[in-house]
Amino acid sequence: MDRRHPLATVCLYAALGLGALFMVVPLAWMVLTSLKTFPEVIHSPPVWFPSAPQWGNYRTVMAGFAFYRLFLNSLFVAAMVIAGTILTCCPAAYAFAFHEVRHREILFGILLTSLMLPAQVTIIPLFRVFSAIHWVNTYLPLVVPAWLGGNVFGIFLLRQSFRAIPRSLIDAARIDGATEWTILWRLVVPVSMPAVLTVCVFTFIWSWNDLFNPLIYLQDESMATLPVGLLYFINRSQQIASASADQVPWQLVMTLATVMVLPLIALFAFVQRRLVESVASSGVKG
Amino acid sequence: MSARGPRSTWFWFLAGPALLGFACFNLAPMAYSLWLSLCRYEVVSPPRFIGFGNYAYLFVHDPSFWPSVRVTLAFTLTQLPLSIVASLGFALALNQPIRGRGFLRSLFFLPSILPQAVFAVVFVYLFQADGGVLNGILGCLGIRGQAWTTNPAWALPVLVTASMWGFGYPLVVFLGGLQNVPRELYEAAHMDGAGPWERFRHVTLPLISPVIFFNLVMGTIGALKVFDLAYVFSVTQGKPPGGPARATLFYGLNLYEQAFGYFHMGLASAMAWLLFAVVLVITAVNFRLGRRWVHYGD
Amino acid sequence: MFSRPREPLLWMAVALLSAAGFWWAGRSRNPAPLPGKTIVTWYQLITPLQDLHREEAAAFEKAHPNIEVRIVWATGTEYNTKLKTLAAAHQLPDLFFAGDVWLSYLRPLMRDLTPLVRRDAAAMGLDDFYPAIRAAMQLDGRTYIMPDTMNLSLLYYNRRLFSEAGLSEPTDGWTWDDVVRAGRVLTRPGTPGRPGVWGCSRVEGWWGEWLIYVRQAGGAVFTADGRRCALDSPQAVAGLGFYLDKSARYGISAPPGFEPANGFVNQRTAMVVGGHVSFWLSYSATPGLDWDVQVLPSGPAGRPGGELAIAGYSISATCPHPEAAWELAKFVTRPEAIAAIVARGGVSVRRSVAEAAMRDLRRGSGPGNLAAVYRQFDYGEPIPHNPYFLEMMYNLIQPEVDRMLLGELTPAETGRRAAAAVNAFMANFDPEGS
Repeated sequence: MDRRHPLATVCLYAALGLGALFMVVPLAWMVLTSLKTFPEVIHSPPVWFPSAPQWGNYRTVMAGFAFYRLFLNSLFVAAMVIAGTILTCCPAAYAFAFHEVRHREILFGILLTSLMLPAQVTIIPLFRVFSAIHWVNTYLPLVVPAWLGGNVFGIFLLRQSFRAIPRSLIDAARIDGATEWTILWRLVVPVSMPAVLTVCVFTFIWSWNDLFNPLIYLQDESMATLPVGLLYFINRSQQIASASADQVPWQLVMTLATVMVLPLIALFAFVQRRLVESVASSGVKG
Repeated sequence: MSARGPRSTWFWFLAGPALLGFACFNLAPMAYSLWLSLCRYEVVSPPRFIGFGNYAYLFVHDPSFWPSVRVTLAFTLTQLPLSIVASLGFALALNQPIRGRGFLRSLFFLPSILPQAVFAVVFVYLFQADGGVLNGILGCLGIRGQAWTTNPAWALPVLVTASMWGFGYPLVVFLGGLQNVPRELYEAAHMDGAGPWERFRHVTLPLISPVIFFNLVMGTIGALKVFDLAYVFSVTQGKPPGGPARATLFYGLNLYEQAFGYFHMGLASAMAWLLFAVVLVITAVNFRLGRRWVHYGD
Repeated sequence: MFSRPREPLLWMAVALLSAAGFWWAGRSRNPAPLPGKTIVTWYQLITPLQDLHREEAAAFEKAHPNIEVRIVWATGTEYNTKLKTLAAAHQLPDLFFAGDVWLSYLRPLMRDLTPLVRRDAAAMGLDDFYPAIRAAMQLDGRTYIMPDTMNLSLLYYNRRLFSEAGLSEPTDGWTWDDVVRAGRVLTRPGTPGRPGVWGCSRVEGWWGEWLIYVRQAGGAVFTADGRRCALDSPQAVAGLGFYLDKSARYGISAPPGFEPANGFVNQRTAMVVGGHVSFWLSYSATPGLDWDVQVLPSGPAGRPGGELAIAGYSISATCPHPEAAWELAKFVTRPEAIAAIVARGGVSVRRSVAEAAMRDLRRGSGPGNLAAVYRQFDYGEPIPHNPYFLEMMYNLIQPEVDRMLLGELTPAETGRRAAAAVNAFMANFDPEGS
């Protein structure tokens, strides 16, 4: 490779710096705002750094809003969805990787089409059915689809990874008399642990971030997950705002938003390399 | 052959839940919603068959249908090229041997795993007219800001900007593609005296075309799905969703509003089926076009 | 080689955990009542009166030991969607907050209260409700709502800003011209350290204000038979025109999008046309805000117009214990309850309470000119009854009005486009047909 022109290097770093700034500023602004006082929030020109960090904002949000419950609700839903995803997607991926049946690839192709399907397309009939069987205001509409292989992207990723296992290894186990169930959980899954973990992380992110389904199915405020809770909180804070003649208490809204993204960022810090690599490979293999 | 019987039984046992789920949560609802799309169904009374009335109303009279198509199209046509160009550009830059590459890669990717609801809340705050950060900065420079979030001309650009915050995802996909380009090809091109642009045009671009194609399809589908961003954008401002003056009424949001805001479930089912048809067409056209210019390495 | 003795145990643990998870996920969140007790669920909008509602519920439980009240709160933005969603899911609350604005929309979910009202008319003092209020409780001669609050459109003004500008205060009999004249004097640009003032606020994104002007100009949203939209009439167009001209021509209101947040409370707008009675509480609680009200100014058609709307409680059609819910409905609309609301600053729906309030000069929570409030009673007009009224206003008409404010449409075009959209909608969603 030829050496880069020094000017090109400067441009390269400048562009990357600008891009990085665009990525960091909104996030930083969100966190900084969560530590400001209300006068600082509405001050013009904008105040970048709080004069003294207002940790009390976090206490206010926790005290004035059923925050712990929302957090636990979100965790519960995510845990159930992850469990269902692993317990049903692993077998499905294994079946589609190592079991020959007729039209298997066509069947898999049809299964994959649901990746393209926006949630809005199926929501009305599902809502009607879930209402009829009294599942509205329970977590079942959010959880049950995951227990029936609802995470097709997970099946796809796992199948990719399972296929890298040499067939001879599977056949050897079969000759030893192991059942398919045992081979799956004792051989295939342990060998593909990185992929399984990646699917867990992705499932967590989707479940944690999902607004559309909880918005429709969880009408009881005490059952809300965090994204819906954020909306409730904004609505309530405006109600408070009109009573106390203030504007939206942005510092509190940003506090809730910060707490909402904190687990995601913490998780990301641990798994970033693996996550980024699996996303990088999704386009190549897909 | 003796193993065939039990082996295929195992297949249905292992893949059964996923296939059942697909039938229950995709196929059956699709069929049911086709029926509902031919009905007047306002929730308080049972569905009543009316033929193609819903479709006719959508196409001819509904004042929000075509605006929502326009908004979705305008968003796709600005956000998708912007995000493809930006993510490809930054992917090329991050593919260079530079300091802190891994860190920057993660930094660019980070926002794309955050909830869209947070995207909306943060950008409404940054862009609001009274007390917003952008207007504050402009004010310091002596420029009078705009009512970015409440002016129909600016609301959609604000959402495009907000969604650009998530361009780290296609960026990382591009990086994956770029890292798959064999080094020797560049070296060979260099020997032949090809400059950086020729190398990009004749080596990189053809080899990453499948990745471009992948990002195009995912981006298009993503634009058709937009809901969280636009919904929270309005709710944060205490306004009915889709405003101002339908400037952020995305198709997916319009469908939700018809179904769960106004409870015209039949009408919304018709919208759902039109959306499904469009997704099918886009996917088919993409693959057809893709075959022409995408070079899959053999 | 693969079998381990502990494996079945592991799978059993997984199964048990999953079962527990599903139990929690599917658990009904409405706990069963204790034996001998009835639970009445009360779906209530969050307003500044929230603490009062809590007190009422506690007092009711004390008076009726066998009934437990469970309040479900919702904000205005969530309210309607949530109620309909619950209805669709067969989980309607027993008693729910409702107003005459929603009456025809929610009627399929409401219980006809006529027999109960007739039975208990004397005990609950039915005649004590103003006739205009009693009319608003009904639709087609059947009663559906027990009211506790009401709203009247009024002209609100900041007395300090008026006297600083050297203006005399608004009087009964003001016209649009007077509003413009005063507004021009009151409006002044901001200077560093001193925010500007707009002569008159403007409500954007809601019909609350422009509908007043349409009516004052002699127009209406619907024709008299309610079957067509009349916003394209010259009178209605004149009303829309005034709404636009406040900023576009007279410069007495902020340009669209720049309306100061809570401008009246922050003393950055001097007048409010329309407003809402429920804001009285926060006005009175704001130190340094010296405010009063007047009858609305009149427009070209010569009458002040304005809305008269009630809010109160309905019992759901599917309520399994209507008598218990009815007891609660009567309890929260009894004279003492209304008096507590009026003491906070509010307009009384009961004549006895209103007269007591008028006699009591120690009040301090409402406007000084209470006489103007009850005079406005004579001008208030009810919201048209159509199941799709809210949807048509928000989804079909309001976007056109928004575009008018931005200069994209003239008032005449706005009226024409809105009328065309509404007429097509009504032809498709004929309320009689569905």
